Amino acid sequence: MNRLAVLLGHRMRRDRVQLALWIVGTAALALMATTAVADTFGDRAERESILRLTILAPAILVFRGTPNGAGEGEFATFLILAFLALLAGLMSTFLAVRHTRGDEEQGRAELVEATPAGRTLPTAATVVHGVLANALLGIAVALAFAVSGLPADGSAVAGAAVAATGLAFFAIGLVAAQVFRTSRGANGFSVAIVLGAYLVRGLGDALGTASEDGLTRTAAWPSWLSPIGWAQRTEPFAANDLAPLLLSVGVAALLVGLVFAFQSARDSGASILPDAQGRSHAGPLLGSAIGLAWRLNAGAILAWAVGATVFGVLATTMSPLVDEIGSDAPAIAETLRRFAGETASFEEAFVTTFFTMVGILAAAAALQAVMRARLEEAHGTAEPVLAAPVARERWLGGYAAVATIAAAVVVGLSAVGAVVGAQSTDDPGATTELALRAAVAQLPAALVYLGAVLVLFVLAPRLVIPLGWALLALGAFFGVFGELLGIPEWMHELSPFAHVPVPVGGDVDWTGGTWLLAIAVGLVAASVVGMRRRELVTEG
Amino acid sequence: MTTVISTRALEKRFGRTVALDGLDLEVREGEIHGFLGPNGAGKSTTIRILLGLARPTGGEARLFGDDPWRNAAALHRRVAYVPGDVSLWPNLTGGEAIDLLARLRGGVADRRTYEDRKARLLEAFQLDPRKKGRAYSKGNRQKVALVAALATPAELYILDEPTSGLDPLMEQVFNREITRAAGEGATVLLSSHILSEVEVLCDRVTIIRAGRRVESGTLPELRHLTRSSVAFAHRAGQESELAALEGIHDLAVDDGRVSFTVDSDRIAHVLPELGRLGVQGLTVAPPSLEELFLRHYGDELSPVGEGATR
Repeated sequence: MNRLAVLLGHRMRRDRVQLALWIVGTAALALMATTAVADTFGDRAERESILRLTILAPAILVFRGTPNGAGEGEFATFLILAFLALLAGLMSTFLAVRHTRGDEEQGRAELVEATPAGRTLPTAATVVHGVLANALLGIAVALAFAVSGLPADGSAVAGAAVAATGLAFFAIGLVAAQVFRTSRGANGFSVAIVLGAYLVRGLGDALGTASEDGLTRTAAWPSWLSPIGWAQRTEPFAANDLAPLLLSVGVAALLVGLVFAFQSARDSGASILPDAQGRSHAGPLLGSAIGLAWRLNAGAILAWAVGATVFGVLATTMSPLVDEIGSDAPAIAETLRRFAGETASFEEAFVTTFFTMVGILAAAAALQAVMRARLEEAHGTAEPVLAAPVARERWLGGYAAVATIAAAVVVGLSAVGAVVGAQSTDDPGATTELALRAAVAQLPAALVYLGAVLVLFVLAPRLVIPLGWALLALGAFFGVFGELLGIPEWMHELSPFAHVPVPVGGDVDWTGGTWLLAIAVGLVAASVVGMRRRELVTEG
Repeated sequence: MTTVISTRALEKRFGRTVALDGLDLEVREGEIHGFLGPNGAGKSTTIRILLGLARPTGGEARLFGDDPWRNAAALHRRVAYVPGDVSLWPNLTGGEAIDLLARLRGGVADRRTYEDRKARLLEAFQLDPRKKGRAYSKGNRQKVALVAALATPAELYILDEPTSGLDPLMEQVFNREITRAAGEGATVLLSSHILSEVEVLCDRVTIIRAGRRVESGTLPELRHLTRSSVAFAHRAGQESELAALEGIHDLAVDDGRVSFTVDSDRIAHVLPELGRLGVQGLTVAPPSLEELFLRHYGDELSPVGEGATR
């Protein structure tokens, strides 16, 4: 059997679940967007009014796309295309790194390269694999658009745009795998490029010039720097112009050529950037169990902190917009108001909703810190720490403390961002106060999650990672969206987020928060007691 | 003499798998104790119980006369440990990992002494402390763990197959450092399946198999149980006289050479007889632990042992 086919088959087999999830998930998202257009924005006048609103707050375009008209297809593209391209980019860079640097780093590549397959054929197989994956993704997206009843030509262009963007990022991922010594480094770099490309084209959209009727926009020059910008230039359902995709495909071809040049010239396992030498002595922080927990989580907490600050700024800068929506799109306003109670103004409702998301982010940051403890335990690096005079409960306590800090940092910095953003509003004082209250109200709910996951860590260490995330997803879903979807009241009440105080109106009822705090403290205490009695559970 | 480690009828089950099946182990103060057994015999499980990382399902374990599960943290002030399969933090350098573990152990109060000691060990083991954990080879990860363990003084060193990734030169360095630590009065529990290492270093040895002790004692005591191998050139007509020799076993003629084994305490009786026969090309191999080991496990080599690795 042909060696390339063997290598390709092996790659497909390894990825069969993961890629299927990426492709089906991305297509499902496209389908949800087109369905939402039909359900929520079925009326052309309503779509037009929303598009015109973006002139008032171009920042909203960062999270959407270039407006290309008010038809259903154009509007769906505006809502979701940039995000689909972002997902294609992430799928493709992870795929590229996984099958090149990832294998090299783990030493698996050596096994294959020692066979007659040699050093470059595996990379060629990865390239074919990546091209096929993106082709499938493009077809799935095009089908998702087409089955919603949108025109076939526009759907095909949208699919092609997503696939071509994925291809460009795939090639960038391959280059990153040549440059960095570790898959962690290569993935980090690639993800930064993908997110950067998303933001750069968002900037281009926001700086672009609107047409006179306010329904379309011409993106500014930054969009030309981003493969996602190129995808939007195809203007699916409007211009249906495939020419910009030549840029994506051309860049991909060029980079793949470069990758083969590197690959055939370098040693197996080597990289263009050498692994940097670190310090020979530990810094002063790295001398206790909590110091280690901090060190291992610091990078992630920094990332959460940046995200939370941006989120906070958006919460208050975008709030003036909602009063406009309130008069133009009553359905959306009604939805927002359900989060924040009947007495709330649109602005209050909007800010409160935003901070519910902050609460979920804070819980996620805390969860991730606790899960690091599980990774330490499973990978065997907890063992030397516990073989030193560190009691089990103190070891876990270190992670609990760092997780609390993580949650506090997310809530705190989102509040700081909100205060900065509030300065642009008509009444900075009132908006600031509202944002600060909304932020503080979220912390207890996040801490309940921290406590619950700590208990889970003690009772079911092998399951803590999947179960922990599932718990958060369910809680967020029931607590935040449950009322809108009409789930039973008791299910809604199970979620900590359902008990977060709603800080609007004169008399804020904080008892829910106090209760949550008490429950969180109880759970943390229970986990400490439990950890005294639990032995170390290493593998799997 | 004080007992540092003692286990009595120690038992550990993982579901249906029996990892330890009534293990007795005694390590006295100041000795280097070899802990021998094939893979899956329960060595690592024993060590994890001694470190309070796992709880026995039966029997009793004592470290410095105390319960290692309940008083783990306090006991660990006196213990340094080197795991068999060293995992390092991928984004911490070797130097950072060494400092971290030393500080956790509280051994850096006298900073100067610690730094000197660490520098000497890094030099002896030729370890570059500035590389990230993920960049080290297996042998170098092992060195990081060894330097971390030896850089602070401890009363007891627990070493789980510590030389498994080291080259022969580094094994020499390791032997020297362990001898030095023992010279300072420390006790060492050295788990291994490399017999030559145990023969060079250890005062006493415990051999375990399938979670039980099969042999324990000083090396001379154990050698007593072993046999020397004797071989010489075959000459026609010797068979009857050879067969009459007392205390010999496994007599065989192969490829023109006669070979047999003889109980170590009978060798002095057998040699004059061989002289009388005028044998040529005589070789006598001294008893080794290897042989004892094979005697205990040799018959078990084909079926896989019942014990499980942790």
